[in-house]
Amino acid sequence: MRLLTKATLLFLVVALLVFGVGGIITYQMVVQEVQLETDYYLNETFKATVRGIRAGKSIEALDNEKVVITPLPGNNWTDTIAQYKDTIAEHFNLRRLEPHRNLTRIKKIDDTYYRISITDVVIELDDMYEGVVGVLSRLFLFLTASVILGSILISRWLFRPFTQLLSRLSHFNLKNATGLEVPDTSTREFQQLNSFLLKMTDKAQRDYHSLKEFTENASHEMQTPIAVAKGKLELMLEAPELKEEQAGLIQGAYQAISRLSSIGTSLTLLSKIENQEFSVSKNINFSKLVENLFKNYQELAELKNIKMESTIAPDVMLPIENSLGEILVSNLIKNAIQHNYPGGWIRLELNAQYLSVKNSGAQPSVEPSKLFERFRKGNQSGGSLGLGLSIVKKITEASEWQVAYHYQEETHHLVVSFQ
Amino acid sequence: MKVLIVEDEKELSDNVNAYLANGGFICEVASTYWEASDKISSFTYDIVLLDIMLPDGNGLNLLRLLKQENSNTGVLILSAKNALDDRISGLELGADDYLTKPFHLPELQARLKAIFRRRMMDGRNDITFNEVRLDPDTMEAWVGDHQLPLTVKEFELLLFFITNKKRVLTKQSIAEHLWGDNVDFLDSFDFVYQHIKNLRKKMTSAEGNDYIKTIYGMGYKFTD
Repeated sequence: MRLLTKATLLFLVVALLVFGVGGIITYQMVVQEVQLETDYYLNETFKATVRGIRAGKSIEALDNEKVVITPLPGNNWTDTIAQYKDTIAEHFNLRRLEPHRNLTRIKKIDDTYYRISITDVVIELDDMYEGVVGVLSRLFLFLTASVILGSILISRWLFRPFTQLLSRLSHFNLKNATGLEVPDTSTREFQQLNSFLLKMTDKAQRDYHSLKEFTENASHEMQTPIAVAKGKLELMLEAPELKEEQAGLIQGAYQAISRLSSIGTSLTLLSKIENQEFSVSKNINFSKLVENLFKNYQELAELKNIKMESTIAPDVMLPIENSLGEILVSNLIKNAIQHNYPGGWIRLELNAQYLSVKNSGAQPSVEPSKLFERFRKGNQSGGSLGLGLSIVKKITEASEWQVAYHYQEETHHLVVSFQ
Repeated sequence: MKVLIVEDEKELSDNVNAYLANGGFICEVASTYWEASDKISSFTYDIVLLDIMLPDGNGLNLLRLLKQENSNTGVLILSAKNALDDRISGLELGADDYLTKPFHLPELQARLKAIFRRRMMDGRNDITFNEVRLDPDTMEAWVGDHQLPLTVKEFELLLFFITNKKRVLTKQSIAEHLWGDNVDFLDSFDFVYQHIKNLRKKMTSAEGNDYIKTIYGMGYKFTD
């Protein structure tokens, strides 16, 4: 849920609570006030009636539907204080029962005791309740409408720098030469956010580039000294009076150096693919490429007593640089030969949608999702570097293809889909 | 065969020089662009071994100069930089081959001999070692009058042996020669062994001598 939607909803919930409590309070106050006013009116009418009687007006003249005056015979009465009560009586005009307020008081006026009873209709509680609820609910509706409208406007205008920043962040790529572009804003928090993000992305980008440069330089500059060391060892092997033990030592050193050198070449290749140094200018005939490599490795596979089969659709044209294509396919085939057993099989299939390599083999000890990571070996045996599949992965990424791995029923299955 | 080694890394040129001199090459070394251009203008070489990245100039310019001076000189480009651009521009300018550092010295020697064969022996290209005869163009091999039923890789292996005869070839250098420089390959040594076994069998059953000697702990040597 969007931040603003969330805030709006929360605000509306709070407003609803406030309106509810406010409604109860308003209702009670209105009821109280109405009663107070009615009592005041009754009291005033009482006083006016008393004044009327004192002035000598006839009781009949003063008596009406609201005022009932009853002269009380005798003297054994006392004055009472005002007594208010709610009653239900027939309304004089509407001819139906309505709530009324009544004031009855006995008072001695000019030696005669009178019971004066004044009754007036009061506003019904229902009506007041409805009135209060009506007003408040309209207000609440109005508030809701304006809050929603307001939040739309806010998100359009106030939050625009923020949403822009978000979308630029999602497109931000460490590998790009250009840094993060932040939208202009006059909001202080957004300005702070912008400057933080600028600093962070700049740093990340610088670190990334220096690390990349280091890897590139290291693996590149390594090659000459390695070539020198390799050459020296090869010359040593030529020495006429070499003992077996010495030869073994030389061979060991030689193997280690060879390994170092292939790690270097592979890492250089990986960073080259990442740097997109391989430009794709045209489609190449991938079918021919796969066929050639297939033939190339068939002999190898036969040496290991592995049967290789292929179904290659003719003239599949794909936009990939030739040497990258070769590396991709040969890595896949080499992988299939390597993780196989004598008497096993390899099945290769190419069509316009995908290249699939299936082969028999034991279950890898590494999680399938991690097989594409660098220096990750499904099988710890032997001299494999564990870079073959990560190179495959990088090549497919650079070509915007997908590669997937499954293991099922003692079968390794690697698919590169070109879509 | 006269070879000019243009390489700024002294240790490396020393290695190459020592190895090639052992194999009967006459080598000269130039370690800078100017030294190299001087030598190229003054003398004639069969093959120039050219490092593209020199401290005082681009090796590709030397290649241009070389092609102006004497188009019959073979060129093998040597560089740590295996960028495709360099390879293509090098080959377009008329280089014969391209080798990336680090390389195996036997590999270098095999490539140099291949260039030499292509350039010098127009047409007739056969390579012989005692009763063994190879034709690199048709990829056919004979022991005496018997043609050997070799696979492509076996032929390449035999050719590699003969161009590096009497020298120790490590399993790595053989594997890389046969399967490319990207041998991240668990079983490549077994494969080398298998190939050698098959090759031996084919040669001996054609009544040839077994010239392939196993040098324990090191590799193999093709010698009589």
